[in-house]
Amino acid sequence: MENKIKWETDLDAALALAQAENKPVLLDFFNPG
Amino acid sequence: MDAVTYPNQEVISFISENMIPLQVLFDAQPLSTGFNVKWTPTLVTLDTDGKEHHRTVGFLAPEELIPSLLLGMAKSYFETDRFNEALVNLERLLGKHPKSGSAAEALYLRGVCRYKSTNDPKPLKEAYEQLAADYPSSEWVKRAYPYRLL
Repeated sequence: MENKIKWETDLDAALALAQAENKPVLLDFFNPG
Repeated sequence: MDAVTYPNQEVISFISENMIPLQVLFDAQPLSTGFNVKWTPTLVTLDTDGKEHHRTVGFLAPEELIPSLLLGMAKSYFETDRFNEALVNLERLLGKHPKSGSAAEALYLRGVCRYKSTNDPKPLKEAYEQLAADYPSSEWVKRAYPYRLL
């Protein structure tokens, strides 16, 4: 079981994974401040 | 989100099993401009081609994030004419998260999916009746109002 979310940081890499795993992408625009 | 919602174990499991998570700074270019991001957190559900199907702005607690993501997945399938896959996610949302802020829209969309996959208008009327009964103050009752006449 994962103990944290493994965020991708690059859209193209995320879309490649999405296509390989046939899953949608959750894109989170965040503000660290 | 990073302090409360994302460390939640149910959220971690849901996202790990069902989605590819991508996190970028709110001002990261060209994505910020491309997605017209004006406030954070902005959460967008994309299909495998990168097309947007669902968006929320503002904090979501774990009990609201998971149904919101289910709704986003359902809308992604619905908008690509994959009605049965949309229905699987909508049933899951309505079964496990009936009190969430996404439930009324899910009920509306379930009626539309059932109609689109059968051409039988009865599910639209059923959606209105259930919305009126279970979510009477929801905006989705108003959107389904014409279906009462079917």
